Amino acid sequence: MIALQHAMSRTLILLAAMLALAVGSLPASASDRASTPTTTPTQRVHVVVIDKMEFGPMPTDVRAGDIIEWDNRDIFEHSATARDGSFDIDLKPASKVRSVATAGTAAFFCKYHPTMTATLVVR
Amino acid sequence: MNKPLLALALTFGFGALVSVQAQQAPAINDAQIAHIAYTAGAIDVTAAKQALQKSSNAEVRAFAEGMARDHAAVNEQALALVKKLGVTPQDNATSQSLADGAAAEQKRLAALSGSEYDKAYAANEVAFHKAVNAALSDTLIPAAQNAELKSLLETGLKLFQSHQMHAEHLAQSLN
Repeated sequence: MIALQHAMSRTLILLAAMLALAVGSLPASASDRASTPTTTPTQRVHVVVIDKMEFGPMPTDVRAGDIIEWDNRDIFEHSATARDGSFDIDLKPASKVRSVATAGTAAFFCKYHPTMTATLVVR
Repeated sequence: MNKPLLALALTFGFGALVSVQAQQAPAINDAQIAHIAYTAGAIDVTAAKQALQKSSNAEVRAFAEGMARDHAAVNEQALALVKKLGVTPQDNATSQSLADGAAAEQKRLAALSGSEYDKAYAANEVAFHKAVNAALSDTLIPAAQNAELKSLLETGLKLFQSHQMHAEHLAQSLN
């Protein structure tokens, strides 16, 4: 019985230690989450519509870590390809793709249709 | 036949045949417009397939894959639209001269190989898209009566303009 209690208290200490470690690493894990395209309460989703061979109006007030949802409504395959090579997102016909915004001004184009160009500003 | 269609036909070497018909050609109707647009798309898919058989240049192959994919998508949409509208695409002198000219061009390209072929294919793609764009913007789009057909042609024009620019970039990079 005593041995069991001892074992339980040891387990509790271990749990507490693990919890403390987890809390201590929270800022790091939060930033990890921001790099995957799933929303967290602080992230906002901005939609960019691609239709009739054009990138629609660019969203304003985009912050780093926000989600960009690329909504390709065309019957054609497109891409959102950064001129500086920082991203190259393939957009299949009639599909939606999500990516995470990174800070900066990104000029991009469709690599299949070079007349399609736009610039996204992320704070 | 009006000037852009005549130019389109001349581009493919059938000016004499078409200019004779030009004098008696009535105003173009939606069934003929649909046929011309479909024929132009099918021609470019055939040219792209030939390029994929003949070329080993990665840039040329990527371009050809894009042409085949895009034109097949537009033509699929065009077929669905004419079916919905109950319109039967109507063969006409412009479609025929386009098809004949393209067949001759395909034969000419078949005799070439290597970088000589790549350059000729790219140059022909520039000329072809330029001619089709002029016909679309000056004749086919203004003449189209059905709003959905007009809208599809307008999207087609933006697509073809983009292809023309892409073809020009390709042609420059091969020189």
